[in-house]
Amino acid sequence: MTAEVQPGPQPVTLTVDGRAVAVEPGTLVWDACEKAGVFVPVYCAHRKMEPVAVCRMCLVEIGTMPKLQPACATVVQEGMEVRTQTDRVRRFREGNMEFLLVNHPLDCPVCDRGGECDLQDFAQRYGPPRSRVPITGKVHFDKARALSDKITLDQERCILCWRCVRYCDEITGDRSIVLQERAVHTVIDTFEGRPLTGEFQGNLPEVCPVGALTHTAYRFRARPWDLQRTVSICPGCSYGCTLGVDSRDDEVVRFVSQDNPEVDDSWLCDRGRYSFPELNRSDRIRAAELRLEGPLRQVPALEATAAAARALALVVEQSGPGAVAVLGTPAMTNEEAFALQWLARGVIGTPHLDHQLAEWPGLDPVEFRLAVADLERCDTVLVLGERPELATPVLSLRLYKAERKRGREVRRVAADPDPAELARTVRDRQLVGVVAHEGDRDAALRVAAALAPVNREVRRLTLTEGMNGRGCKDLGLLPDLGPGYVAAPAAGMGGRAILGAAAAGRLRALVVVGPNPELEADPAFEAACQRVALLVGVTTVPGVLSRHAHALIPGRTAVEKAGTVTSSEGRVQPVRVALQPRFGTPPPELRLLVEIGRELGGRWTGEPRATPTFAAIEAALPAYRGTRGGLRAAWPQWERPA
Amino acid sequence: MPVEELRILTRHLGQPQVTERSGYEAVGGYQSLRKALAMGPEAITAEVKASGLRGRGGAAFPTATKWGFLPKGVFPRYLCVNADESEPGCFKDRVLLEALPHQLVEGTLIAAFALQASHAFIYIRGEYRAQRELLDRCVAEAYAAGYAGRDILGSGWDCELIVHGGAGAYICGEETALLDSLEGLRGQPRLKPPFPAVRGLYGQPTVVNNVETLSNLPYILEHGGAAYAAHGTEASPGTRLFCVSGHVERPGTYEVPMGRTSFRDLLELAGGVWGGRQLKAMQPGGGSMPVLGPEHLDVPLDFKAVADAGSSLGAGALVVMDESTCLVEVSMRLVDFYHHESCGKCVPCREGTYFESQLMHRLEAGLASADELRTLADICEHMDGRCFCPLGDTATWFVMSAYRMFRDEFEAHCGAGQCPVRAQAGRAA
Repeated sequence: MTAEVQPGPQPVTLTVDGRAVAVEPGTLVWDACEKAGVFVPVYCAHRKMEPVAVCRMCLVEIGTMPKLQPACATVVQEGMEVRTQTDRVRRFREGNMEFLLVNHPLDCPVCDRGGECDLQDFAQRYGPPRSRVPITGKVHFDKARALSDKITLDQERCILCWRCVRYCDEITGDRSIVLQERAVHTVIDTFEGRPLTGEFQGNLPEVCPVGALTHTAYRFRARPWDLQRTVSICPGCSYGCTLGVDSRDDEVVRFVSQDNPEVDDSWLCDRGRYSFPELNRSDRIRAAELRLEGPLRQVPALEATAAAARALALVVEQSGPGAVAVLGTPAMTNEEAFALQWLARGVIGTPHLDHQLAEWPGLDPVEFRLAVADLERCDTVLVLGERPELATPVLSLRLYKAERKRGREVRRVAADPDPAELARTVRDRQLVGVVAHEGDRDAALRVAAALAPVNREVRRLTLTEGMNGRGCKDLGLLPDLGPGYVAAPAAGMGGRAILGAAAAGRLRALVVVGPNPELEADPAFEAACQRVALLVGVTTVPGVLSRHAHALIPGRTAVEKAGTVTSSEGRVQPVRVALQPRFGTPPPELRLLVEIGRELGGRWTGEPRATPTFAAIEAALPAYRGTRGGLRAAWPQWERPA
Repeated sequence: MPVEELRILTRHLGQPQVTERSGYEAVGGYQSLRKALAMGPEAITAEVKASGLRGRGGAAFPTATKWGFLPKGVFPRYLCVNADESEPGCFKDRVLLEALPHQLVEGTLIAAFALQASHAFIYIRGEYRAQRELLDRCVAEAYAAGYAGRDILGSGWDCELIVHGGAGAYICGEETALLDSLEGLRGQPRLKPPFPAVRGLYGQPTVVNNVETLSNLPYILEHGGAAYAAHGTEASPGTRLFCVSGHVERPGTYEVPMGRTSFRDLLELAGGVWGGRQLKAMQPGGGSMPVLGPEHLDVPLDFKAVADAGSSLGAGALVVMDESTCLVEVSMRLVDFYHHESCGKCVPCREGTYFESQLMHRLEAGLASADELRTLADICEHMDGRCFCPLGDTATWFVMSAYRMFRDEFEAHCGAGQCPVRAQAGRAA
């Protein structure tokens, strides 16, 4: 195939405060200013939304135009002279700041946003030195209006930038926030006063440039300067949204979004964003417990791993490695999964290994050939059933963007549609995307097979369950496949079969690394736990596993350990330590698993830490080479036709 | 020689049953539409161009040029008639809607045909209820007679004529806010570009014309563009309706040739300042425009001459104020109007008109300090030219022009504890 070299559009050159800058045609002056290194204050403008030019904060001088022009809504022209630092602009900014504060309550000392508020910052930077408005002359509104159980609105602080209104219009499409009344009495409110119901409400306080829209769960909880931010990956699902973990002392106070244009496009879903209280559970497992000989006793974690290893060795010696089964969790990191795979296959020698209960045949890296961002390039996107968007909610926003901003066809069809019927209407497209949940893998395969002959290219995106369901599969935490989807030397039992065998007394020992909500919720798990002679459990969350484990080893939560996770589309992204270990924090699971393996005589080269372990993964799995910074793994299977 | 009106636009005013189709047809009504259908779109536009007709809504943009902005070959396209007359001091469209509704319907259909519009929407202000009922009846009569709807007068051209009532917002007279309101959205001005000619109603090419502008079309088609232009001057062709109100003997609407008539003539037509009092100030163009004084009485009603005098003919109004008038009080009333009507979209207008209004009330009551008067001037400076649409800009024009012209009067209010003008005239607050 010959690469067609498209000549790029001729750049437009302009000057900003005398600095020359070249930008693409169609660029907004605001963006050109940024490129020239000149900061222009804005409230209403937002990178992900269409300009409205209502706050007027960005007015600048352009060439000989008599009026000041909004940088956020003016398109660059060749030879344009933009001036942002003239006396006229400075005077206007001062005047506009005065306007913005005419009816503002000035309650910064009790405002959640104080310290990270554009109104506060720009008032300091551009505003007048003192107020000329009598405090008694202000219009008053509702200070705490619950828009839903998640969002509380302070109408007095609102500067009516329209970002939330546009967010609901352009980003989610639910149009749930509207403007009411007019003039200085204008307020934002929900449509017809109905409570907000969307699954993306948590983005509203983030698009709000001031302290008007607030997280109900965060109201009056912290001041931003007391918080420590760590950039990591959302533990909520396998979509892989980047987020900032804001913590104070030993507590996660909030999750904030971070813009990754390839994945989340700066949006989080409420399920992920508000999942942080789970990480602050006071009843999390902190102490190791042994119930092996005699009564229960609490021991240091590394004593528990040693005891567990001795007990496992005994089972293997008495009944052979096939009497042991190992269950991981799609919540574990790639490094942990790699270690667990090594422990099961390499050290214990059992083929009975899995990370989930469901069995989904036909697993192949081709199922995630389609990148999330490329949904915007597909002529037609077929979404099979509701499960993809239920599993990874932020996907819905990408689909809406593809539809609204890129004009793509997004068709939601049955979970198991008639492939021949689809092939009649979806044909002659350059690129067709087939999006399915991993539970509908076989249906997606049939659809792709039917569409491939009548379209130029068909690509699939398969959404996995759990934060790292994809990584666990990539790394061979499966009964029949080893790392890289290569057939394992011996096929063992999968998750469901393991539980059945254990409950029937055909397995003697079970090693379970949690937390695994799917297992915990399944009655077969408790039956299996009760029957096996040896249950080794590693987890942070109390439940069935912690109640029954003969050797219970505490782990770390998603914000207490480092490593990588792989999103559904195969993107390998780093998770970081947001809550620093303190006295009594158990060692990370990776170290615990390696310790057990070493006690059993296994050879693990290098330190049991995330970075060297990832290097070992790269050596074992070429697709992962060089991906650690957030790139997608490159699978050789992608090169052959779908 | 006494000044007289020149009735071109209002030539049929007062004819028997002229508000009904039969009465209008009896004076030659709808003959221009027949003529237009025979001429074809290009010839109509050429005739309008020859007439020099300029928009009567306030901006005075040449009508034929505006029509020419529609991109070629893009359909459907729409015509909107701006009947949202709401400028303080303006009531000329009301006269046309009440007395000559069929003339507007005919003019609208002529323009729609010239533009090859599939739909023409008449957006009428919410408060004009009786006028709306009349217009609805006229539109029904036009449909019944085959002037509107499918295959109009056998020409093969289809055009739907729809009357839509506003909900009482001044801003909906701004053409893009009108389009939003017509689409069922909140009436607020749109970001331009794109201009309505390119992306207007429902995203399609759209022309928005004023009632008076379109009501001129039957005459122009009947007598030719040159005949129309001959009534005025080269720079300001044709006649125009002026609404004279305030302190005059005979307030009302007067049609006069442009350019050849002065403010003095107009004042004379309206019987002069009432009770033999002296003229103190006058505001042409409607509530938005800067104030003029007695020294401007001989300025001709010509776009350029009035602009040179520092004001504008705007939407064709003249508010006359006698010697007892307090210009601070008038400014306060106008500022209150803009504060009430600000749509709330942009910061300088929303907050500025409020701030302005607060200060004007203090000033008029004699409570404001000299510092506050300076603040008022500052506010106006920060609003003028910085707002999203002209509403906020113009909310400062009258105040600032009055402040310049009657500086002593404004300053005399500072710290006076009462309105000095009213106190002198013995008027209570």
